[in-house]
Amino acid sequence: MDSFTAIILAIFLPFAAAIFIPLLEKFLKHRIGWFAAGIAFLSFALIGIVAPEIIHGHIIQHSIEWMPSIGAEFSIYADGLAMMIGFIASGIGVIIMSYSNGYMSHKEDLPRYYQYLLLFMGSMIGMVFAGNTLQLFIFWELTSITSFMLIGYWRGKPASVYGATKSLLLTAGGGLFMLAGFILLHAITGSYDIATMLQNPAIIENIKAHPFFLITLILILIGAAAKSAQGPFYIWLPNAMEAPTPVSAFLHSATMVKAGIYLVARVHPIFSGTEAWFILVSGIGIFTMLLAGFLAFRQTDIKAILAYSTISQLAYMMTMYGYTSYHEPGLGVAAATFHLLNHATFKACLFLVAGIVAHEAATRDIRKLGGLRKDMPITFIIASIAALAMAGIPPLNGFLSKEMFYETSVEMGHIIGGPFTFLIPAAAVLGGVFTFAYSIKLIDGIFLGEKHHDHLPEHIHEPPYTMLVPAAFLAGLVILFGLVPSIPIHNIIEPTTAGIVLEEVHLHVKLWHGFTPALFMTIITFIAGLAIYTRYDNIAAWQDRFNARYPWVSVNYYYDRIVDGAKGSAKGFAGFAQPGSIKLYIYAILVLMVILFTIPLFMMTTQVFSVNLNFDIPFYESVIMILMVVAAIAAATLHRYLSAVIAISAVGYLVSLMFIYLKAPDLALTQFLVETLATIIFLLVIARVPQTFKEKIPKNILLRDIMISLAVASTVLILLLNATQGIVPPFESLSHYFLENSVKLAGGHNVVNVILVDFRGYDTLGEISVLCLAALGVYNLIKSRGEGE
Amino acid sequence: MTTLITKTITKICIPLVSLFSISLLLAGHNNPGGGFIGGVMFASVISLTYVVFGLKYTKSFFNPSWDKLFGIGLLLASLTAFGAIVFGHNFFRSAVEFIEIPFYGEIELASASLFDIGVYFVVIGTLLHIFKNVGEDK
Repeated sequence: MDSFTAIILAIFLPFAAAIFIPLLEKFLKHRIGWFAAGIAFLSFALIGIVAPEIIHGHIIQHSIEWMPSIGAEFSIYADGLAMMIGFIASGIGVIIMSYSNGYMSHKEDLPRYYQYLLLFMGSMIGMVFAGNTLQLFIFWELTSITSFMLIGYWRGKPASVYGATKSLLLTAGGGLFMLAGFILLHAITGSYDIATMLQNPAIIENIKAHPFFLITLILILIGAAAKSAQGPFYIWLPNAMEAPTPVSAFLHSATMVKAGIYLVARVHPIFSGTEAWFILVSGIGIFTMLLAGFLAFRQTDIKAILAYSTISQLAYMMTMYGYTSYHEPGLGVAAATFHLLNHATFKACLFLVAGIVAHEAATRDIRKLGGLRKDMPITFIIASIAALAMAGIPPLNGFLSKEMFYETSVEMGHIIGGPFTFLIPAAAVLGGVFTFAYSIKLIDGIFLGEKHHDHLPEHIHEPPYTMLVPAAFLAGLVILFGLVPSIPIHNIIEPTTAGIVLEEVHLHVKLWHGFTPALFMTIITFIAGLAIYTRYDNIAAWQDRFNARYPWVSVNYYYDRIVDGAKGSAKGFAGFAQPGSIKLYIYAILVLMVILFTIPLFMMTTQVFSVNLNFDIPFYESVIMILMVVAAIAAATLHRYLSAVIAISAVGYLVSLMFIYLKAPDLALTQFLVETLATIIFLLVIARVPQTFKEKIPKNILLRDIMISLAVASTVLILLLNATQGIVPPFESLSHYFLENSVKLAGGHNVVNVILVDFRGYDTLGEISVLCLAALGVYNLIKSRGEGE
Repeated sequence: MTTLITKTITKICIPLVSLFSISLLLAGHNNPGGGFIGGVMFASVISLTYVVFGLKYTKSFFNPSWDKLFGIGLLLASLTAFGAIVFGHNFFRSAVEFIEIPFYGEIELASASLFDIGVYFVVIGTLLHIFKNVGEDK
């Protein structure tokens, strides 16, 4: 199998498997989770097949034409960066799906759960390997949508629905800004292709010099920040914690929230090394790191702590990717990348532990927990490893990447100079202090101290192995990456960094690196962290007073006001635009049609009626036409529904007869059958309503109706007269093309059908989708009528 | 309408019209016909039995889940469109091939026919789904 096929399979296998899950569920029952985990493993293995090639510095590129005329292609761009996140998405996917077998109750709607998970995983893998910005956007929004479905998995809970809506509004909305940025990039470079932009220094120079540079960068960064919960967009992530815990572990710590970071890394070569890049990316990063770190420390729910800590850890990465300057092309990139990998391991592990604790102790409130170390010793050890890694304690992997963070911060401070020499490292240390404090708080709050017997069940025990082993595996990775950093560094971090900075990179990461400034900063972090942790009550009290006094200093406050306001105005608009009377809709449609047809007609043709009218109509046809007119008048004037419906179908049948005379058997047959079915449906409906019109139509309304009918009829007449004579100058008849090419290109002699299924197949696909939606709409209309009202 | 004559004629018509709808579907590429018209033809014969014999009787011998049918049709149609990508062409590129079969002669294999079959299922499924729901409504 060549590498391209392997990557395509890795992307689409989860999508294909998701389709078959409802079928397989009949045989596998609650073991369906293992099937999903198997699919995730296959994707992982498929990426593993191509990994050696990528590690050796080869970039796999290939594209399939999709809509060549607008530059949209389906292309694959697989470098180290894509490979790393692809590995994380599928690898953590295996762990999460295995763990879910123990976490999710067998009574729940498991097929839906695993379908969403697989769809999400496929979208995520598709996004990282996307070689085209439009394609990246599509998969990006797919991850937002699947995340929305997963957060709202418990549809009955209002909090789930609120959290899901919030995340969709913010992340998918941010994606639209990103799309605008991509379109501007296209305007500058003339390409949607990522490889073209990255591999062409001239294009990059051009982008950096372009007047649209700043606005493009800001638009793309809004998308990235919204997805990674940075800056003011952080508010969706805590609410997303309403999702089942494995989902949070997967989406909201290990994979989806990293999509924004991935995007920043992906566009790094294009935008980095400028003032704007440093100020925006590092600025957002530092601000978010401090804010979220402080807020995390204040939470009492385990998942809330983890949510805010995720935000602040992602901010570390943002900050480091922003460090790249003129003088130091790749400063911070390797550190950020390493931290990204480490964070995926320890944070996913912590979430799994949170799930275990909630599962066994039936609460996630840290004030009620405590003293669980005796009941759950294995979980305690796993949790401690992960939390200490997050705190940055040697010899765990978090220590290494945090040291690199401090080192690069010191360096960046020196490069900028002035007061920033100390401000930037100080901000980094402060972020680390909060991280240390909340990491300690997690362990202390759950496992140490006295057990609160009045809040907790008497017998708490270790979870089943399906939940314990995945968490233990991640904890093992944390230790492995810490003790033997050369494994991840050489195999993953170096190719990834090379993919970001576009040159070969060699890194040396060791546990003991001498008495450097970073080491002293770490020591300060530990001392200050402990100090802050002991002062916890005072800080909490201060913040409560502050929040009570200034409720408007909160992004959530504005979010809720905007969303509630939008709901109100949407209601008002719907009331105005959809009054509910079918008559009004038909007026609107017809009048608009008349306007849209007549205005261009008058603009294009100087003499509307200057047509050589050819009234040479054969006898049979004129008889049919007269009958049609009679039937139409009958339909309008008859006073019983039944007779009116029959008159209408008479018009339809006469039209189909007309088609036969005009030598269009296809149309005649269709018209005939559709007319029959429509009549039957009409009859089914009118069997249930009063048989005669009761209402008297007032004179003025009747007059208005007649006016509108006349206007429509004369518009159509004029249009037909013009069209049949072929006198609309700028337009030519399309039929020649189809007549000439129908046999040549599609091998079919029935031109009408060839147009439908070959030349305009895309249209037909859209139409049959609409048909399906219409059927579902009818179903809903009829079924929902009895309920509620 | 449920006289003996209509009942007898309907019973004769059902298999004939069903076969005719399939022949319309397959002939569509070169002669009058196609997925849409074939589907409507099939739906009309089912609705004929409904009008003559009533919903309950119709369901007793022919009651697939129509909503699934249009799902399958839509899937088939989209897979045909994606199929071209597997062979390295544009999305929705259609292909046509002529094959010689002994004793029968040349037949035409067009990817568009697969697409047409998808359309056929969607049309049948949609129409009969609507029918069933309107007819069942109390």
